Amino acid sequence: MTRSRPGLLLVTGAVGALAAAPRARAQEPVRQIVITGTQQRLALPDCVPEAGDEASRQACETVTGVLRSDLAFQGLFRFVDESLYSALGQVVPDAPDFEDWQSLFANFLVATRARVTGETMEVELFVYAVDSTQRILTRGYSGRSDEARLFAHRLADDVMALTPYEGIAQTRLVFSSDRDDPDGDGSIKELYIADYDGHNVRRMTVNRSLNILPAWSPDGSTLAYVSYRSGTPDVYLAQVRAGQSLNLTGSRGQSFAPAWSPDGRRVAYASSRSGDMEIWIANADGTDHRNVSNNRAADTAPTWSPNGREIAFTSNRGGTPQLWLMDADGLNVRRLTRVGSWSDGAVWSPSRINSEIAYSSRLEAGTFEVAVIDLETRQVRQLTTGRGSCEAPAWSPNGRHLVFACNRNRRWHLALVDRLGHQLQTLDVGPGNSVYPDWEPRASRGGLTLTRSAAGVTGRTDATAGGAESSGTDPWSRRSP
Amino acid sequence: MRRACCFALSAALAASLLGCGPKRPSAVRHDPPPPPPVEDASGQEGGLTRPDDVDWGPDIEPVDRGGTLDQEFLGGPEGSPLADIYFEYDRATLTPEAQKTLEHHARWLLRHPEARAVVEGHCDERGTVEYNLALGDQRARAAMEYLLSLGVAGDRMTVVSYGKERPVDPASDVAAWAKNRRAHFAISP
Repeated sequence: MTRSRPGLLLVTGAVGALAAAPRARAQEPVRQIVITGTQQRLALPDCVPEAGDEASRQACETVTGVLRSDLAFQGLFRFVDESLYSALGQVVPDAPDFEDWQSLFANFLVATRARVTGETMEVELFVYAVDSTQRILTRGYSGRSDEARLFAHRLADDVMALTPYEGIAQTRLVFSSDRDDPDGDGSIKELYIADYDGHNVRRMTVNRSLNILPAWSPDGSTLAYVSYRSGTPDVYLAQVRAGQSLNLTGSRGQSFAPAWSPDGRRVAYASSRSGDMEIWIANADGTDHRNVSNNRAADTAPTWSPNGREIAFTSNRGGTPQLWLMDADGLNVRRLTRVGSWSDGAVWSPSRINSEIAYSSRLEAGTFEVAVIDLETRQVRQLTTGRGSCEAPAWSPNGRHLVFACNRNRRWHLALVDRLGHQLQTLDVGPGNSVYPDWEPRASRGGLTLTRSAAGVTGRTDATAGGAESSGTDPWSRRSP
Repeated sequence: MRRACCFALSAALAASLLGCGPKRPSAVRHDPPPPPPVEDASGQEGGLTRPDDVDWGPDIEPVDRGGTLDQEFLGGPEGSPLADIYFEYDRATLTPEAQKTLEHHARWLLRHPEARAVVEGHCDERGTVEYNLALGDQRARAAMEYLLSLGVAGDRMTVVSYGKERPVDPASDVAAWAKNRRAHFAISP
């Protein structure tokens, strides 16, 4: 019955996972990696409404569509063709007929059902390994019936938790837009938050000045951003939930381009507070501002390495703006980029697998493109081309995607692409120009209650670890200290 | 509060002008223009040489020729009495034309001691946001330091960099880019 498929790894309970984990990581949540490799075929049949009412049916339709979209976005899986589901009839989510799914060469079955009762909605998720006919995950959630998309994002992240990669479907984007500038003269940009797929856009700042270059703190609680509300560009920190803000830099010169240290305790930024433009580091409470670049050239746009030991930044000390590296104390400065006439806006990948930095580069023809430089080989790959001018990339929390802004036909819009430059897609986040996105480093939204949870496989370890991307190391990434 | 900050900034800038400050704009290395009259003798900028009474040099147009300064300089964008100055691509050095314009501005500011100037640095769209903000800062400071060298008190001027956020001409062509690479002088009484 069991066909051995490369890339399928079943770990026996928590014991196996613990044994494989180094002692030092014992405090991290134990993850049970079940789905490995990049070519596993998932079956995602339609969500089953538990009652025949219209509300449940519509909720299910949303859950199905969003869940499929979220999992397809990750680029990790193949999928059973949607046209084949109808031939099988409705799935019984908690007792599927495995032969059906085996006949469609599915490796995993992701089944859902939902019920809407007034303003409440309940959704259940069941994940099965089709080959071994084992249920490997059961989850139930309760929440508001008007948040079906949120349920789907949560389910997608639950499925991603079975892979070596952290799910990002519940994370959000923050960006700057002039949509509420009545004059359109560039004097007003406010910050907005949207789901990572562009839905659910909400305005965040309301100060009617220029608010740009937002940067999410590692714990997701705080946004650092640049505001001109007091006349000069200063770095502010705003608590996302409480809405309170603090002027981190004070109105001393121009201060902008904030970047959080991975432990969230410090903020690096560019400032002319001492005369010329330097990289400064301050504690996140506004104390202890120190100039770490100390060079007569213009230094700007800092970004921290995931271990907090290094900073990449832009400097024109070599003649043109290029990326440079230094230790976080300002020593050991060396040049990073050597191709292109203009490099800026570096963002260090949070991934612990891929050591790379994304940035904006003018490589040829005068337009700017999003590029990635591999820190080991120093090879540069260009991710965008022929889309006007693209800049200001930011990494997804698991390091698999980038969000950035492109100017095409005289309008700036947001776009997503995977780290190799594939699957570029435009995001619709509403009217006006949308620029300078940053990606929430971890999901911080509430709203759903976990009502049912069972994980664990009652089978045995089968086969060896699959794809190269999932070997031994700790692959899910985000910046733990 | 902000005013105190501006005083501190101007003091720092004045100090950097006198000493071997960093990244001196090349403007100050050009032949210095004939200094205009000092606006106040309080010595705010320390030992800067600012002779009280000099004849205008031949390269400076007489201030009062054909009307008031305000009329002469009307046409500065956004209602400013002082015209914008322009820069080369990815450069913050003052061109000879920019210096000449700034010399006019200095005289106007000295004749209007009540006026305060916000010196805005702007860039064209052919650049990235963070570096353009740094470049706008360099441009605005180059303009302000030149005005300082001409005797305008530092506490009357504030620098703001807008990078490429506020183009005066939104078009994407050579003419628009040239107009957008500018320092703008917002005057408040």
